[in-house]
Amino acid sequence: MTRVLVVDDAAFMRMAIKNMLESNGMEIVGEAENGAVAVKKYVELKPDLVTMDITMPEMNGLDALKAIMQLDPQAKVIMVSAMGQEAMVKEAIMSGAKSFIIKPFKADHVLKTINSIL
Amino acid sequence: MADHGQTEQMLEMYIYETTQNIEQLEAVILAAENADRYDEDSINEIFRIMHTIKGSSAMMLFDSLAALAHKMEDLFYFLRERQPAFIDYSLLSDLVLEGIDFMKVELQKIKNGDPADGEAGQLLQSIENYVTVLKEQTTAAAETAATAAGQLKTPMPAAADSSIYKAVLHFAADCGMENIRAYTLVLQLQEQVAELQYLPEDLDSADSAELIREKGFTLFLRSDKSYAELEEILAQTLFLERLELSQLPAAETAAAGAKDGDVPETMQQLKERTAQETNLAAGSQAVISVSVSKLDQLMDLVGEMVIAESMVTQNPDLKGLQLDNFEKAARQLHKITGELQDLVMSIRMVPLATTFHKMHRLVRDMSRQLNKEVKLQLLGEQTEVDKNIIEHIADPLMHLIRNAMDHGLERKEEREALGKPAVGTITLEAKNAGSDVLILVKDDGRGLNKAKILERAQAQGLLTKPAAEMTEQEIYELVFLPGFSTKKDVTEFSGRGVGMDVVANNLQLVGGSVAVDSVAGEGCTFTLKIPLTLAIIDSMNVKVGNSCFTIPIASIKECLRAQQHTLLHDTNGDEMLMVRGVCYPIIRLHQYFALDTPITDLSEGILIMVEHDKQGCLLFVDELLGQQEVVVKALPAYIRNRHQSKGLSGCTLLGDGSISLILDVGGLLN
Repeated sequence: MTRVLVVDDAAFMRMAIKNMLESNGMEIVGEAENGAVAVKKYVELKPDLVTMDITMPEMNGLDALKAIMQLDPQAKVIMVSAMGQEAMVKEAIMSGAKSFIIKPFKADHVLKTINSIL
Repeated sequence: MADHGQTEQMLEMYIYETTQNIEQLEAVILAAENADRYDEDSINEIFRIMHTIKGSSAMMLFDSLAALAHKMEDLFYFLRERQPAFIDYSLLSDLVLEGIDFMKVELQKIKNGDPADGEAGQLLQSIENYVTVLKEQTTAAAETAATAAGQLKTPMPAAADSSIYKAVLHFAADCGMENIRAYTLVLQLQEQVAELQYLPEDLDSADSAELIREKGFTLFLRSDKSYAELEEILAQTLFLERLELSQLPAAETAAAGAKDGDVPETMQQLKERTAQETNLAAGSQAVISVSVSKLDQLMDLVGEMVIAESMVTQNPDLKGLQLDNFEKAARQLHKITGELQDLVMSIRMVPLATTFHKMHRLVRDMSRQLNKEVKLQLLGEQTEVDKNIIEHIADPLMHLIRNAMDHGLERKEEREALGKPAVGTITLEAKNAGSDVLILVKDDGRGLNKAKILERAQAQGLLTKPAAEMTEQEIYELVFLPGFSTKKDVTEFSGRGVGMDVVANNLQLVGGSVAVDSVAGEGCTFTLKIPLTLAIIDSMNVKVGNSCFTIPIASIKECLRAQQHTLLHDTNGDEMLMVRGVCYPIIRLHQYFALDTPITDLSEGILIMVEHDKQGCLLFVDELLGQQEVVVKALPAYIRNRHQSKGLSGCTLLGDGSISLILDVGGLLN
């Protein structure tokens, strides 16, 4: 089973992603509400996949992505972005994010994206 | 997200989190406004909150909310990135607060289960205008080059050992951020092909996403890979909808780029249109939202003022003085306080429409669940009622409708067999009746079953007199007794046995009442009678001994002096008076409240005929003190808790500062 770490500052978004992934046979091993927690949890949990929101307090998704990539160059991180964040998504891709999904997302888009990188 | 429970749960979370976010947002803005500057932290925070709201709202398909949050996010993005030197903070705060209010209203709608159908068009426009203004002010900053699609700068030289391919990729219609998807692809391909050029060249701007959406993403690749190999690589692109891959003869390559020369024109048109839209003037705001607690406070103050006014104008010190000018001024004051009071009342009045419309959903859900076809008819939904009262009647209404659907209306086959229309009808009607509003919940079902009600009441030991002696009305009223429920099986919607008495209690809380009428086989009607408003009532003050009582004018029919010869006594020795052929029981208030008064002869005092729920009686009092508007105050808890408040609904302050007890006519009659 794919073990996923869901990172988003909005509990609502975490719930949405969690519901979506769990109903498709993935295991949510952890949730993080900001980048700093995400990095800590990544080290702890070693998930197969991370969904990473970009706009977050404390440490944003880009910095968290960079930190995670430094710790584990093989990390599979999918950015969760919104329209208007093109520049950041681009930077994330350059920093090693495997792909991205755009809010508001549809289940099949998310799954397609995730399956393409697993 | 498919199943219902999960959606419900997400909606709850959405409402909770968004409400919190909005509250936080408000706090940040108010703090910033106090400081008269938005510092970097607050701008960041507002941006982030808007971003979150946008994302969540879009997920829940609340488009108007998402659109507004998006615009605000854009605004604060601009502020954050460009840090314009001059910002009109008060205008900024106004815009954001207005946005917050819009969101709150929408959230409330969502909470109430109504569609979030508000249009923030004007607000969006104002925000956009403001951004434009800000942008103009910061023109010194580098102009964003809009040359997203141009021509290839250098024609691709044909190399001998490899072929040149042209690929046009179209992404799935709703995948979003096409430019970044293209960029990801470019990044991948760069490792695999010898040379790569693409159109549009600038993948950073959002305009290019638009272009890719319309025209596709065009790639020119030089590679020694075969057509099939390349096709395989490209086909793996995420959200690829259509791929046109062709191998180009060397000569065409140079010209290829020029083909798309018409693109900038389209962009130009687009830009012009946006500019035109921006120029539309944003009208000024005609409605503001005010916190309910402030309104309550205002109401209280106006109430106090009404009392203070009568304290002044009816001051005992003025007695017997000839004060022409004072009287004149006092009349003027009275007129103004009256108008003020009316206005405050009208501000608090809310049409019943929202509450009524909520019932549509209930009826819809229940008809599905119970497999009964039911039509909900709404009448008089524009009738207005005090906001506080509305809150108290939503639940009773819901309960009555549930009951009607569950117990009242028959199944389709049964209805057809009875020659009734197959579709049942529930009518929800509101109308004004004096200082009351009547709400009728009517169904055309089977009506209340008298035999069953009696049987049930007997089983529960609720009967206080022999069944044979009870009138139809009395039998129907049994359903309002606590612990009464004719349905043995508890269904999902009704029949938990806590039903009708809760309805009755809820209504009593706001000074209303509920009555029932039923015709077997034709349906039943519940009539809710609720006061227009709670706070100030027009009333008659009367004197009994040294005490003063207040009777709501709405329940007074007439006042009369008793003539001895029409006085009757029933078998219990209770006094009755015949008035125009109708017998009315007499309640002597001095006896009822055990007060000393010199006036005990009926012909010396005065009788006030009051009516409640079509029952009438005569109250015997010493004298009338006069008509006055009074502010209703609840009885103190220590009186209520000792259960000695029967016949009293509250108290009020009179002009001379004394306390008067407000009679509860319904309570007296029981």
